[in-house]
Amino acid sequence: MISRRLPLLGAATAIVLAVAGCGSSASTESASGGASESAGGTTLAEIQESGVLTVGTEGTYKPFTYHEGGAGELTGYDVEVISAVAEKLGVEAEFEETQWDAIFAGLEAGRFDVIANQVSITPEREEAYAFSEPYTYSNGVIVTSADNSEIASFEDLEGKTTAQSLTSNWYELAQESGAQVEAVEGWAQSVTLLEQGRVDATINDELTFLDYQKSTPNEAIKVVAETEDQSRSALTFRQGSDDLVEAVNTALEELSTDGTLAEISEKYFGEDVSAE
Amino acid sequence: MDIDWDLALTSLWPLIQGGLTGTIPLSLASMALGLVLALLVALMRLSSNRIASGIGRAYVSVIRGTPLLVQLFVIFYGLPSIGLTIPPWPSAIIAFSLNVGGYAAEIIRAAILSVPRGQWEAGHTIGMSRTLTLRRIILPQAARVSVPPLSNTFISLVKDSSLASLILVTELFRQAQEIAAFSQQFMLLYIEAAAVYWVFCLVLSAGQSRIEKRLDRYVAH
Repeated sequence: MISRRLPLLGAATAIVLAVAGCGSSASTESASGGASESAGGTTLAEIQESGVLTVGTEGTYKPFTYHEGGAGELTGYDVEVISAVAEKLGVEAEFEETQWDAIFAGLEAGRFDVIANQVSITPEREEAYAFSEPYTYSNGVIVTSADNSEIASFEDLEGKTTAQSLTSNWYELAQESGAQVEAVEGWAQSVTLLEQGRVDATINDELTFLDYQKSTPNEAIKVVAETEDQSRSALTFRQGSDDLVEAVNTALEELSTDGTLAEISEKYFGEDVSAE
Repeated sequence: MDIDWDLALTSLWPLIQGGLTGTIPLSLASMALGLVLALLVALMRLSSNRIASGIGRAYVSVIRGTPLLVQLFVIFYGLPSIGLTIPPWPSAIIAFSLNVGGYAAEIIRAAILSVPRGQWEAGHTIGMSRTLTLRRIILPQAARVSVPPLSNTFISLVKDSSLASLILVTELFRQAQEIAAFSQQFMLLYIEAAAVYWVFCLVLSAGQSRIEKRLDRYVAH
């Protein structure tokens, strides 16, 4: 019996190694080839030539990126900001909607040129990706169910359960605070778990919470604490998109000076969150 | 992308562990419960009782006509709204068993029908009751016929169990996602997860041929 199975496993291992080997040689080629097709960064020239800037976004993160009335047009603060930026670059923004946990994988795989989805700048991400200048400044908040009396600060999260998106910076913050983290797809799911008593808390952007309470007043949840540091969100690119990032920064600068960013921000939040 | 071999090696064991403590127990439990359910439903569908066969048909139709992911979400996120909050693991097992039950019921029904009529008559001739004939003559032969398609169902289930990661169950794929999120090495971890699933399924397929051989002795040739 054993002698019959071993060749099978051997064959499997060989094929896995071969596949992995192919991967590595292919990437070496593209790296040495210089002008890599999808794995490298996007250049400004590529965008201008095709006339299209492909944007990765969730489409389920209100008020940043969502569908009007649930099933209508894709809209939101991030969507409008990146659309304005694309206009400045003289190209069309085309949106690819992807769930948050797949968004960085999608960027790396070249499925889109940029992520516009409230990506907070963190040291780890700065190593892996190229960021534009920030276009949102906000605080993180701990949200619990209304009848919670045990959590009043980040220290209190020790040993508690929170719901966070796997690749989000809130996930890390929750872990650093000693919480046991359940991985979810996004804010809506976190609130559901909170209401159902399946988690004790969730950390998210204050703006998300405020918008949520504005559109669907929910007395079952409340904010109990707020981060001291402001988080800064920026448009995210693959490494090597240098001249594109530069052009985007120039566009953001112009949009800030001419008041467009403040205007979009006022529309969604009633205040200007695009500046510190 | 250069392959980070250190990460590939250090992440291998957590992935296998996720498979052994998540994927496999989840699949085995769901398969076992699903098979019991399937046999029941198959017999209901074959019964001459109109109500029983109607219920069986409706069940199979609903299960096969709706996506597994939706079934999972209804059970985990939907039921609490009517006061029924089931923890992640039981939710996953319930959803997967119901799902397997729907598909396997049809397999078992077809297998029972594939046993030649003469076998029923032979049982009757020697004075066996219908139930006894079913249990001692028909089902053992139907079992052999249904092993390949049921193994198929099981192997599908092993892979579909990755959906449980969406309702907070930590299994193989969730483990891969967690490591990928931490290391930002998506390609590497997802390929590695695929390889681990594949090896698991290879081992399970080997088990299938053993069961087939063992059950061969029941078949009337």
